[in-house]
This record gives sequence, C-alpha cells and structure tokens, in this order.
Amino acid sequence: MRTKWKRTLLTAVAGSLVVSLAACSEEGADAGGGVNLDGKKTASMADYKTGAQFKATEPLDVSLLYLDQSHYPIKDDWLLWKEITQRTNVTIKPTVVPYSDYDQKRGLLISSGDAPTIISKTYPGQEEQFVSSGAILPVSDYIDLMPHFKDKVEKWKLQPELNTLRQEDGKFYVLPGMHEKIWQDYTLAFRTDELKRLNLQTPKNWDEVYTVLKAIKAANPDSYPLSDRFEAKSILNYAGQTFGTQAGWGYVKNTIWNESAQKYEFTGATPEYKQLIEYFHKLVSEGLMDPESFTQKDDAAIQKFASGKSFAISSNAQNIINDYRPNVSKIPGATVAKIPLPAGPKGDVIRGTRLESGLMVSAKAVESDKFVATMQFIDWLWYSDEAQEFTKWGVKGTTYDKDASGKRALKPEVAFGGMNVGAPKNLQRDFGFQGGVFYYGGANELLQSMFTEEEIAFQKTMADKKVVPLPPPAPLNEEERERAALMESPLKDLVTQSTLQFILGQRDLSTWDAYVKELEAKGSNDLVELVNGAHKRYKEKNG
Amino acid sequence: MVTTDTTLLADRLDKPSRPRHTSLDDSRGYRIFRVVNAVLLLGVVVVTLYPFVNIVAQSFSSEVYIRTGQVNLVPRGFNLDTYKLVASDPAFWNSYLNTVIYTVTATAISIVLTTVYAYVLSKHRLKGRGLLVGIAVFTMFFNGGLIPNYVLVNGLGMTNTIWAIVLPNAISVFNLLVMKAFFESLPAELEEAAAIDGLNTYGILLRIVLPLSKAVLATMILFYAVANWNSWFQAFLYLDRSDLFPVTVYLRNMIAGATSATSVGAVETNAVAISANIKAVTMVLTVLPIVAVYPFIQRYFVSGVMLGAVKQ
Repeated sequence: MRTKWKRTLLTAVAGSLVVSLAACSEEGADAGGGVNLDGKKTASMADYKTGAQFKATEPLDVSLLYLDQSHYPIKDDWLLWKEITQRTNVTIKPTVVPYSDYDQKRGLLISSGDAPTIISKTYPGQEEQFVSSGAILPVSDYIDLMPHFKDKVEKWKLQPELNTLRQEDGKFYVLPGMHEKIWQDYTLAFRTDELKRLNLQTPKNWDEVYTVLKAIKAANPDSYPLSDRFEAKSILNYAGQTFGTQAGWGYVKNTIWNESAQKYEFTGATPEYKQLIEYFHKLVSEGLMDPESFTQKDDAAIQKFASGKSFAISSNAQNIINDYRPNVSKIPGATVAKIPLPAGPKGDVIRGTRLESGLMVSAKAVESDKFVATMQFIDWLWYSDEAQEFTKWGVKGTTYDKDASGKRALKPEVAFGGMNVGAPKNLQRDFGFQGGVFYYGGANELLQSMFTEEEIAFQKTMADKKVVPLPPPAPLNEEERERAALMESPLKDLVTQSTLQFILGQRDLSTWDAYVKELEAKGSNDLVELVNGAHKRYKEKNG
Repeated sequence: MVTTDTTLLADRLDKPSRPRHTSLDDSRGYRIFRVVNAVLLLGVVVVTLYPFVNIVAQSFSSEVYIRTGQVNLVPRGFNLDTYKLVASDPAFWNSYLNTVIYTVTATAISIVLTTVYAYVLSKHRLKGRGLLVGIAVFTMFFNGGLIPNYVLVNGLGMTNTIWAIVLPNAISVFNLLVMKAFFESLPAELEEAAAIDGLNTYGILLRIVLPLSKAVLATMILFYAVANWNSWFQAFLYLDRSDLFPVTVYLRNMIAGATSATSVGAVETNAVAISANIKAVTMVLTVLPIVAVYPFIQRYFVSGVMLGAVKQ
C-alpha cells in the first residue's frame, strides 16, 4: 500500500520533470530572429527621425517594469503619465516592483517568460545572466529604428563604450543610459577652515594629501585627520583610478586591461595595486587615517567629522549638503568643501564609463505587430533631448520656466532638492519627474542644470582631466561564464580581505609574493587566461 | 529522573493535585538549575526586548538624537510629529487596510481548510489516510520552486488579486499535524454517543468537536494570523500594483530600499535616505495590532499546543 503510492508519486514527479525540461529546451531553440519588420509597423511613424516628436498613429499600450522608490512612491495621477500619453499616444502600463527587491523580481519575471515589454533600470552587466535564456531582445539588431539613440552615439563618440556591452555573439542586449561626459562625483571633502587656519594649500595630488594630513595631525595630535565612510570603498575607488588600478567600489571584476602589454591582468596582483595599498598603509601606520575607516558605519564617520574629531572624509555633492554642512555647523566657523580629485602616479586622470543604467526589451516584443512603434517610443522617451528635458524638469510653464538665455527655474510652488525648499508641491513626489526609471544621463548642460554653483565649479576642474582609455570587450561564452563565476568571488574575497590586512598592518607587505601565490592557488592565472582567450576570440571575430 | 520529568510536566499543566514541594525540588542541583535558568531566560528577555523598546524610543525621538546614536531606551527630543506625518500618508493607510483584509481572509480560509483536513486525518478508520498524510508531509520537504510556482499562480489568473495571497500555502502542515494530534486525543466515545443520539458526521464536527476545541482553534488563529500579518514574500511575488501592496511591502521598501541606496552610494546619488524616526514609527505602527492581540490569545496558546502533545 505504502510503497505503491510512493512509486506513483515518484513516477509523477519524474514525468513532470521530463516535461518541463523538454519545454525549456524548446524555448531555447527559437532564440534570435531576423530583422524582417514586415507586419510589425502598426501604429508606427513612417517618417520618424532625429528631432521628431514621436506620436503613435493609433493608441498604444506599453508594459513597463517600474522600480518604485519609497521616497517618491508611484501615483496614477502623476502629470508625467498624462503628459506622456498626450504627447505620444502611448499609455504606459507599469508593473510596480519595490526598490528593495527589484533584481529578484526582475529575474523571476524574465525567467517565467512573463516580463513586461520594457525592463527598466538595468545596469550594464546585469543583462548578462539573461542572455542565454533568449528572453531578452538583442537590441543592437534594431538600432536603426532608433534615430535619437544613433545620433547621440555618433555625436558623443560613444561607440567604444557601446562595444564593451557586446556579448559573445557580437550583439548587445541592454540599451544603456548615456552621459555626454564622464561624471566623477566622489572625492575627498576637507574642513576648509582648518586648511586656512594652518595655511595649507588645497592638495592637488596624493602626495600633497599626505603632507596636508600630516600637517593637520601635527596641529591636532589626538585626531585622525581622515576618518572615512563607505567602508573606505569610495576612496579606494577614486584614488585607485589615479594609481592606474581598480579598488573598492571599482573592484567589480578581478581583471584589468594593461594598455601597454595589450592584455588583461589580475588586478589584485599588479604593481599598481600594490602601490595603492602601500600608500594607504602609510596613512594608517602614521596615524593620519583612522583604521576604523574600513569597517565603521557611515553614521559613525559623519559623527566624527561633525564633532571635529576628523577633518577629511569622502563625499559626493549630496553628502556635502545633506550630511556634512548641517552637522558641522555646531563648530563655529567650520566650512566644508570637496577638493578636486587629486592626481596620482598615473597622472591627472580619471577612469570611468559614460554608460549608465538603462533598459532591456523583452524578446516577446518583436512578435507584436506594434514592435516598430514600441522601439520608436523607447527611442523618443529615453534618448531624445526633448524627452530628457521633460522627464527631468517636467512641463514648461507648469513645473518650470525657461528664460531667453536657456536657464531653467522651477515654478515657485514646486520644490526639489535644495530648490524652493518649503514649496507645497514636490517635482518628484507630486508630478513624477526626476524619477530614476525615466531620467538619467543626457547632455552635460542638462545634467548640470540642477547643480549648485559650487558643484559646477568642481565639475569644471574634473573636465580637464585625462580619461583612461576603455578596456576592449572580452565577452565570455556561457560555459566560460560559469567557470569564471566559480573563481571570481573567492578571488575577490581574498583580495578584499588581504587589502584590508595589508593596509591595517595586520599582514606585512613583505609577504606580498606569498599573497600572489595564494591568489594563484585560487586560480587567478586561469581566470586571466580565460578572459584573455575571450578577448582574442572577440578580436578575431569582430576586428 | 522520571519523577522529575513528570513533576515538571505537572507544573506546566498546572495540576494542583501534585504536591508542590518534594525533596527533589529542593535538591541543590535543582536550585542551581533554577538560578541558571532564570538568568539565562532573563538574558533572552533582554536580547529580544531591547531592540523593540529601542525602536519604540526612536519613534518618539527627534532625528538629530537618533543620528548621533544617543537614543537607547528612553526617547530623546520627544516629538509626535513623525507619527502625524506617517499617519497622514494615504499610501500607508491603504496598505494597512490591505494587510487587514488579507490577514482576515487568509486566516479564515486557512482555519476552515486546516480543521477539515485535520479532522479527516484523525479518523483511523479512513481508507487512504496514509496517502493523505503523505501528500501533506511531502510538501514540507519538497516544492515546485519559485519560478514554477509563479508560473502556476499566474496561469491560474490569480496575480494581482487577493487570491494569490490567501490561497497558496493556505494549509500549514505543521499546524495541520498539531490539530490532527489534538483531534485524535478527543475521546472517541464522545463522538459515538453523539452518533447514537442521531448526529451525522458534520453535526458531530460542528456541534461536538469544535466547541471542545476552542483552545486549539485560538492557537491556530494566532499562528495563522501572525504569519499572514507578517507575510511579505507572497505579496512581493504576485502583486504588481502599489494600491494592492500590504504594509509589509511598504515597510520593507522603506527600510531595505533606503539602506541599500546609501550603502551602494555610487549608484543612486540622488537617493534621499528615509529618516530613522520615520522608519521607527512605521515599524511600531505595523507590529502594534499583533502586540495588542497577543496577550488575549496567549492564554489559550500553551494549553492549545500542549493538549495534542500527550495522548491520554
């Protein structure tokens, strides 16, 4: 009796497994498609081109995976929705997903074959996991439907950046947000009143940062002049760029492109990386940098800075206004400002990409007779100058005004950020503009149109810096990606851990060679070989 | 040893027939055990209670004191403005109402299904009883997995409806087994007598068995209600419209959303961190109903679960 039903159950389970496996392989088979667009042009504009206002020739519904931020929760009556429909004849049907668990739900919806047409807020790199499923459209095949996108790529010379998105098949699957210029926001902020009191110049490179910190320490022997936040991942990132390496937040993958040797190397074992570690070890061992910088919570670091126990801290433009100025005001005469990103051994350089989070399109969209119209709509809303201004500033005459010189100002009854504080309405919360799903990137003028004077001045100094060339594409195939995934995180963990030990002096820098051996034992050479192989293959295939 | 065990059990069951002080109770080992026990449990109380009290204190404090880490057990910079602020957010109350509706409906459905299932399983004369138990227990160890479940619920047309929240997992196998054990402990003679007096199966269940099962029913209601009130994942999976979200989704987005925005840092530069006291207030308001109801149901709690545990 008992064994009988057990057997029945087992058979049923095994049977359903076979069925579902079969279903999976079928789905995989018909991935990829031609660019024949006959019968897909319903509602599209025949003469859609750069500068044109897209308007669907018949009403069109487009589903959108929407990331919901808790500080401006989505509302159905936003002016944003009304205005989009009015201008384009398109109604967006959002699938609302809370910010807290967006990635998880996005993965679920795509895997279940139930994803909305537009999958928003996807950072370059996040699309890789979905490529092999065939559920995501290789958008590079359809770029000709997107004149504004093409225009910006050409005008801003973004082709090399776009190439970094290419997968093994030479196509890319994410439509990235695009900046005109590299936007470096993070740098060190100093208590400028203390610099002035001690007659110190604003440091221009990391050696001068060391001297300045040393002078502050001499004047305040009980302090740690630099007590950092972000677990020091920010400072390692922006300092790392100028040392010719990647660290902290910038340490995403274990490999880095060596321009002179024309091959990829293991980041954590390069001489540049060692040099960076040596620099920070010097700061910590001489008491110039708080050892807790690497572990403390942001709030603790802010507290030390606000109470005058430290004099320098990592910062972006917002941190200055929100976290430091209001809190430091308890100290009479205290002033805070970002310093221009110091230059390093590799010169006055910044490393970075102008690509931002963007969107993916569901592969199902291409089956719709309204596919062309949908792509034109995406092109207009996310890539035209007009729509980028619209999703950032709102509707002219309603939420903002623009004077003859082109300077924009919010209407007095509309508040945002530090503008019109106390006004009854908020540009984000009450109108839906400035939302992370629709607005990012764009022209430099537009990006800076809401910056403070101080930040614009800072960005001017950054604009003079030399940009490190981008690494060439090295897309892994699926099998390689699986192998790499097994090696990447243990290696990364070892690098992160050892970096901390070296800097804090828990491990002596003379054991560097032993550390490199440990990396090799965990497969650092195999990984580098894998990436270089992929790079070579891509080069041969695509030139 | 055996004596000690039954003594303890008798103590817990509050049976007055046992003499309270035996020589074993006063033994040195037992006294030491009691002291250690008390200290340990007090430690547990402190560990569980402190975060809770701290959140309550934060909810009445002003932001400056929380930010500088000065709020522990007592509110600093007392203010009620945050409560007014959160209470004036229609989205909060809308999700709160959703939670109430989901919890009441889901608990009602769960109780009916669990009771019926458990009652059937308690009858040893039922043919195929082993299979029915097996089906239930099987789901304790195996399930279809996340994506198949989603495809199923979506295929049934339940996404973006209340049914996606209240129907999957309507029967908790643990609760089912507790209830089954309870029903089995009821004397069979009682039901036989009822049958002789002319009640059919349904009459026996409704008029005889259930009125005798108030304790276990109350416990089950408590279990299910708390689980449903706290449930977040189902709603996160199956609901795509913010007007349907329960308060847990609202709360998690506020807390996890805000923290990940600040910790990622490089990505969302314009993310505004939700202030700590708004988070605290929302948490307090969310747990309040459960905290308020718990003491009233708790007296059934011990006896309810214990009653099934020992067969008389």
